[in-house]
Amino acid sequence: MVLTRMCTWGVLFGLAALPGLALANSEVIKLSQDANNWAMQAGNMQNHRYSSLKQISTHNVKDLRVAWTFSTGVLRGHEGGPLVIGDTLYIHSPFPNKVFAIALADQHIKWKYEPKQDPTVIPVMCCDTVNRGLAYADGKIFLQQADTNLVALDARTGKELWKVKNGDPKKGETNTNAPHVFKDKVITGISGGEFGVRGYVAAYDIKTGKQVWKAYSTGPDAEMLIDPDNTMTWTDGKMAPVGRDSSLKTWQGDQWKIGGGTTWGWYSYDPKLNLMYYGSGNPSTWNPTQRPGDNKWSMTIWARDVDTGEAKWVYQMTPHDEWDFDGVNEMILADGVNVKGTPRNVVVHFDRNGFGYTLDRATGELLVAAKYDPKVNWATHVDMRTGRPQVVAKYSTQVQGPDVDTKGVCPAALGSKDQQPAAYNPGNKMFYVPTNHVCMNYEPFKVEYTAGQPYVGATLSMFPAPGSHGGMGNFIMWDAGTGKIVKSKPEKFSVWSGALVTAGGVACYGTLEGYLKCVDANDISRELYKFKTPSGIIGNVNTWEYKGKQYIGVLSGIGGWAGIGLAAGLEKDTDGLGAVGGYKELSKYTELGGVLTVFSLP
Amino acid sequence: MAFALAGLGLCLGVAADDKPYQVAGGNKVDKTTLEGWRTWRALACERCHGARQEGMVGPSLIESLKRLSKDEFKETVLKGRLDKGMPNFDGSKMVTENIDGLYAYLKGRSDGAIQPGHLQELK
Repeated sequence: MVLTRMCTWGVLFGLAALPGLALANSEVIKLSQDANNWAMQAGNMQNHRYSSLKQISTHNVKDLRVAWTFSTGVLRGHEGGPLVIGDTLYIHSPFPNKVFAIALADQHIKWKYEPKQDPTVIPVMCCDTVNRGLAYADGKIFLQQADTNLVALDARTGKELWKVKNGDPKKGETNTNAPHVFKDKVITGISGGEFGVRGYVAAYDIKTGKQVWKAYSTGPDAEMLIDPDNTMTWTDGKMAPVGRDSSLKTWQGDQWKIGGGTTWGWYSYDPKLNLMYYGSGNPSTWNPTQRPGDNKWSMTIWARDVDTGEAKWVYQMTPHDEWDFDGVNEMILADGVNVKGTPRNVVVHFDRNGFGYTLDRATGELLVAAKYDPKVNWATHVDMRTGRPQVVAKYSTQVQGPDVDTKGVCPAALGSKDQQPAAYNPGNKMFYVPTNHVCMNYEPFKVEYTAGQPYVGATLSMFPAPGSHGGMGNFIMWDAGTGKIVKSKPEKFSVWSGALVTAGGVACYGTLEGYLKCVDANDISRELYKFKTPSGIIGNVNTWEYKGKQYIGVLSGIGGWAGIGLAAGLEKDTDGLGAVGGYKELSKYTELGGVLTVFSLP
Repeated sequence: MAFALAGLGLCLGVAADDKPYQVAGGNKVDKTTLEGWRTWRALACERCHGARQEGMVGPSLIESLKRLSKDEFKETVLKGRLDKGMPNFDGSKMVTENIDGLYAYLKGRSDGAIQPGHLQELK
């Protein structure tokens, strides 16, 4: 069993042994190769959320029981999940962003860290004060605080080693994303697309915290680290250079300076290509008539050189966004995916806009773009030659105009999927995707920009996808080579929890009511286990092994956009086809409060 | 007219008959109140206080507006309650220019005279 596992990982990570790769990277790769650990938020740098552990299997998962629990002592939304390295588990909380190191042997708290943060940051992150978790490398735990401070802690003692300010909350810049360690750098983004923040990613030296590079999503080429002649994009059915001022040309005046394109998702890294992948978010404001043009490079998949930050290729999924379909969702790297008979090494991305994209991750070629929820209606399809979605006028908030309520757009602004990350099984090459099944009415209106104040400009109401099963979510199994849903399992509420898939043949995810569910990874309609945790789950499911026993852990703690924001903008109780009723019903199942629940076999 | 009424409301506190807003049918309001609603909407106050002002992360304004005087309301909105997570909105031109309308709108919501959601101008 161990040998098989090492073989698989050996192929994936063979390059770690080559000279030239930084020590920290080799260390993290080595740690993530060992399935006893869960050393990165996604388990590995490819964002797989896959474990080769198979003690817990389709045969015995029904016997899972709670091994231990741990309260974070914090209310509001708990996203992300624990890291496990050796005999220690590291867990975080939403604002105030506490960090606990817990001894797996007896669950005592080895150390605790609680930063002092100005509470004025809370209202500027009003979708909820979530934090998507910690990163580990070089004996350090990295915490990306809400107030944008990026902190390195001694993993053994919790002592602060360095701290660097990544943004300015006075301008509405905050952080919710997990930091990502690639090579000798810790890479982070920024939130605040609803406050007119100009998005960027930044890389800091893991030893010192010194900024190595910073790359914006919009503006002049030099500030985006775009090389007009060498940064490529999909153009008329082939890759071509983006050319000069590719962003500036697509904005009116200085709007790009407050143009969004924030970067709070899950990044991945290909050591062989030395490229990192991430997505940029919505252009600001949500009122499209205030920002004519394609608004590049918001809503874009980026491939950047980790050492220099230089953009190798870009692909804009939703030019001139009219629905808040942020492009930030996770980028999953998969090898040998069969696309029209040819095995390709790809990046797979399930966008908020409802399309699942498969691109060649070395070149950026667009291979597949297909709806992963059949109810998606704002575009008929993606034109594979131009790469542009074919927008339906009836659902275009630009065409319908400001102060008009454009009705029945699917998906809703929170997307067919939001940040809740999918899992990839390299064994059967299938993707396990937690999704939303929600539509919306969207009324844009004019807004003026004031630094640090909300800059939204639309009123929304959301409701379950009409003419479907009545629920607001699905857990789906997806083939990224063909762009087809293999199977779909309906859920009452949005599945806002990141998935896990294992060599034991189980796929697990959490629900907003608070159930941890495990299903048969070959037939996801077969629910094999469920357990009601203390609160709704918006955290991601992880697994590790300690002293010969496999554990599954998940944070519960309702909140996030799904938990608090869904009813926003409804005009009457009866509006939204029962959405208010639907989500109010959550209160029948769950209350606030953060708890880590850890499961094992008896 | 609306401004004068608002002033009167301040002088007489919560006297029932002196309302800072005019409303018909629950969703048609005077210009000042309409601008107050637009300000509420533009500053995305519902993100904390809820689409129906019944409170979410922030408190219920239906309740707060029964207790706060107009001066206290203005003070809270413009200076914020930073320790509780309420930002100061004195940097927003739209808020400073429409603070009377915002008060009128929320008072109308608190009184139950104005419906939640979309409003039109009373003509």
